[in-house]
Amino acid sequence: MQASLEQVFNAIVREYSERLWWHVRRMVGSHEDTDDLLQEIFLKIWTALPSFRGEAQYYTWVWRIATNETLNWLRRERVRAALRFSSAEEQAVQRIEGDPYFNGTAAQRELAKAVARLPEKQRQVFVMRWWDELPYEEISAITGTSVGALKASYHLAQEKVKLNLSDAEVSK
Amino acid sequence: MTRNNDISTPQGYFQDLEKRLQAIPSREVKPTVIQRVSPWLAYAASLALLVAVGNFVFSRATAQEQEADWDYISYLTRSLDPDGQVELDEYTLSEEDIRCFLIADNIPVELIEHLSHEEDD
Repeated sequence: MQASLEQVFNAIVREYSERLWWHVRRMVGSHEDTDDLLQEIFLKIWTALPSFRGEAQYYTWVWRIATNETLNWLRRERVRAALRFSSAEEQAVQRIEGDPYFNGTAAQRELAKAVARLPEKQRQVFVMRWWDELPYEEISAITGTSVGALKASYHLAQEKVKLNLSDAEVSK
Repeated sequence: MTRNNDISTPQGYFQDLEKRLQAIPSREVKPTVIQRVSPWLAYAASLALLVAVGNFVFSRATAQEQEADWDYISYLTRSLDPDGQVELDEYTLSEEDIRCFLIADNIPVELIEHLSHEEDD
């Protein structure tokens, strides 16, 4: 029983670790934090694996754990930032500006910073649509939000990103 | 992953990540001291609580019983002896009382007299 659980877990790691890494990386904004958070996510998956009842597909279940853990991490980050008399958004922007692994264009950096300024839920929907390129139906299954609400949320997020980008353009 | 070309990773990062993640099940998660003793602490606390409650209930019941006993004794004492003095003389039988009792019990008077004289002798 234990061996078969390990086999399933190893298959999940092989199948999803890289994809989830990119999702978490976009949400968190730093290589080291992503690495730590991914360990936490997979530890959670391993711990919860015996209670997986198969009502959802592994794909949805794994993504749901990852997105929930990431949102929890962002909430904890908000508290940590408040204790340093700062905002979580500003901390995220600073992480992107000083990211040694960022090798994109200036426009791509501005886009990443504009997304970092979005509220957590909107950021999640934007990342899942824009970078993870997931269809609305899959995002809906993962987040438990209706497709209509997700479309509205993504539209709002897009508008805010455009606004943030134009603000960045003006301030140059 | 065409949109993810703006972020790089160290060489061989994903292979290393996969290995580290697959090592999670073999990691022995040692429980902390608190985690190890907490079931025993909970057990001891429950036992202590049970003993304390039992002791409280028992001591209350005993005190009430003792109080009831003393009340009853006090009641009996007051009923039997309202002035606080038991006069035993009142309950002592006289020779005449015994004679009347024996006559009422159909004992022949001669026999009673005979026995009375024998006792005197």
